[in-house]
Amino acid sequence: MDKNRSEKDIPAEPRVGVYVCHCGGNISNTVDVEKVADAASRMHGVTIARRNMFMCSDPGQDLITNDIRNGKINRVVVAACAPSLHELTFRSAILRTGLNPYLYVHANIREQVSFVHDGDEATNKAIAIVAAAVGKVKEFKPLEVTSVDVKGHVTVIGAGVAGLKSAIDIAKRGLKVSLIEKSPFLGGQTALLDKLYPYGDKASDIITALAKEAVSHSNIEIHTCSEVVKQEGYIGNFKLTILKKPPSDENELFNMDKVATGAITSNEYMDFIGFYHNSPPEAQKEFRIETGAIVIATGFHSYIPYQGEYGYREFPEVITLRELIRELAKNNETDEFFRINGRTIKNIAMIHCVGSRQVEGIHMPDQNGFINPNCSRTCCTGLLHSALEIINRHKGTTIFNIYRDIRTYGRLHEELYAEASAKGVRFVRFNVENQPVVKKNHEGYTLSVFAKDNLLQNEELEIPADLVVLATGMHPGEIEPLIDLLKIHCGADGFLLEVHPKLRPVEVFTAGIYLAGSCQAPMDVTEATAAASAAASKASILLSKGKVNLEPFVSKVDKDACARCLTCLRACPFDVPVMEDDGAYINPAACYGCGTCVSACPGGAISLAQYDNVEICSQVKGAIDPGITATNNEI
Amino acid sequence: MVKLPCTGRITPQILLKALEDGADGVCGVGCMEGDCHFIDGNIKARKIINYTKKVLVSIGVEPERVAMYNLSASDGPLFAKYANEFHKIIKGLGPLYLTKEAKEVLNG
Repeated sequence: MDKNRSEKDIPAEPRVGVYVCHCGGNISNTVDVEKVADAASRMHGVTIARRNMFMCSDPGQDLITNDIRNGKINRVVVAACAPSLHELTFRSAILRTGLNPYLYVHANIREQVSFVHDGDEATNKAIAIVAAAVGKVKEFKPLEVTSVDVKGHVTVIGAGVAGLKSAIDIAKRGLKVSLIEKSPFLGGQTALLDKLYPYGDKASDIITALAKEAVSHSNIEIHTCSEVVKQEGYIGNFKLTILKKPPSDENELFNMDKVATGAITSNEYMDFIGFYHNSPPEAQKEFRIETGAIVIATGFHSYIPYQGEYGYREFPEVITLRELIRELAKNNETDEFFRINGRTIKNIAMIHCVGSRQVEGIHMPDQNGFINPNCSRTCCTGLLHSALEIINRHKGTTIFNIYRDIRTYGRLHEELYAEASAKGVRFVRFNVENQPVVKKNHEGYTLSVFAKDNLLQNEELEIPADLVVLATGMHPGEIEPLIDLLKIHCGADGFLLEVHPKLRPVEVFTAGIYLAGSCQAPMDVTEATAAASAAASKASILLSKGKVNLEPFVSKVDKDACARCLTCLRACPFDVPVMEDDGAYINPAACYGCGTCVSACPGGAISLAQYDNVEICSQVKGAIDPGITATNNEI
Repeated sequence: MVKLPCTGRITPQILLKALEDGADGVCGVGCMEGDCHFIDGNIKARKIINYTKKVLVSIGVEPERVAMYNLSASDGPLFAKYANEFHKIIKGLGPLYLTKEAKEVLNG
């Protein structure tokens, strides 16, 4: 074990205090807390067991701090709610007394007991959980928080609306920012839109405002045509290698041609392309950035229907919502009928959920076998926003929405739905197993959409249409190399995964890396900028003190026992262990504390604070045999 | 219920010690495969549990006494289903009696 750990507060004999919380009845209405406290008081090693209506209240915390200060106990078990709620509350309380705050176990007898069990069963399980916690805490050793210096610099990857917003927020807090963008333009996918719902602001105005602010801010350094190709280091001290290269993508080269013709100049916005900052490099070059935190704002991949999906690329009259938005932006005509390339559009059929909410066996997987289960969240409101623009401008055009569910969930979104309904947009609802079919029509219209309306007992309707608009969804961004480099991970749906959707919504498990915008889930511009500001706040909080305290629940190698077999180097999912002359070394700042190396080490040379074999086995033993004696200690 | 940072922390020793100390069955519960916060801890855990099953067979103990389940952290009903399912299996097997020889093997 660690020879450097302070021995001063390791007591010869553990004296455990057990504190059972009633949680105002949430626990005590189901669990006989008196019985639990009585059983706890007779467990081996326990000197005091007490109860309180709310252990998290000041009087509740005082019970613990007084017992520690009076020398009655030197280890604490609080039997209460889930540790995610109040573990830190009690750790702070213990810290105030001067006792090492890690000599404490939070036993969950609410979510794991009173919320899910009844009667004696509940009480007995609570006793077992308390006994397990007592067994564990007796084996605990004091832990020290380590602290590392951090660099006052953040790297934002992706200069779409989220990346720009994050970079500006961070720069305004006085930190330096490197904004890395793969393409030669700023603005990302928002630049491919026109009027944004619900208010109809122009995407060009939003991107221009953000890009101009970013470009002119002295703390922001913008690198277009750049990608991260290597990552080393850890929280507060990342080292990124950036590759800057001339544009090679077909679409980028096409856009760069417009630059070459002088249609767009430096620091200017061009519709449906983005904000052009400066010339791309002539030749490829690599450089390094030392940075304290990373914000990922790589966005999403807009679903492209396969050939023949609802007639896409089979009939020229089938277009995506994005293509419709470009058509609408071409002019402000208010003729009787909407026109595309001079063709009069009397009827439009809009099909929802294309590439979203896909169901195995019904929808075709993409070339990687991927099925997108998510609702893309933006397409219902986006479609209705465009539908309203069409009927407000062209009174004669009729619009049919062929939908599975209408999800106009956001603020002022429902109003768009109500307005569209009031103005005569028609709605036809289909079940997923009855996919609408687009066919050629020969009776005056170009196409027909056949849809089984599930509100009319699945009666098949033929909807004649001159134009079919597909509401294509948001698929996860194609960023596998970056995911591998940064050792972050995505969920089964392919979007990047946060630590906890409610408690730590923009953090990933790799400390010092944050998520901004639709790399994490489908989001509209409003939500993406909110997430970007959240990520900027978290990165700024981390770097504002110049130092960061790290949780001590990390692995440590006993070099005397290390056989230098390299097993831990292979086992670690994050490549943290390195081999030194005298054995393996695990940098506590870089370790994630998953314990995989501990399990893998054949020599048992690696220990993981609070999750060593001795602690786990003592906890198991406590749960199986609570070791309750006849004699009562203090209650 | 023993909290671990990741199911990748599970070892045969921990599982076998629990059985030796009086547990009639032990199961690991990890994230869905592909959703591991630590890349592939749950896949390593499944391997470890399958290995432990072989150890159990070699000492004459039913391999069903150890099992691996995967579910997402927010899926309470599925956890309850798996817990009941495992409980039923273990109840069907009855209490575990380790022979003197088996204990000797476990104590190495």
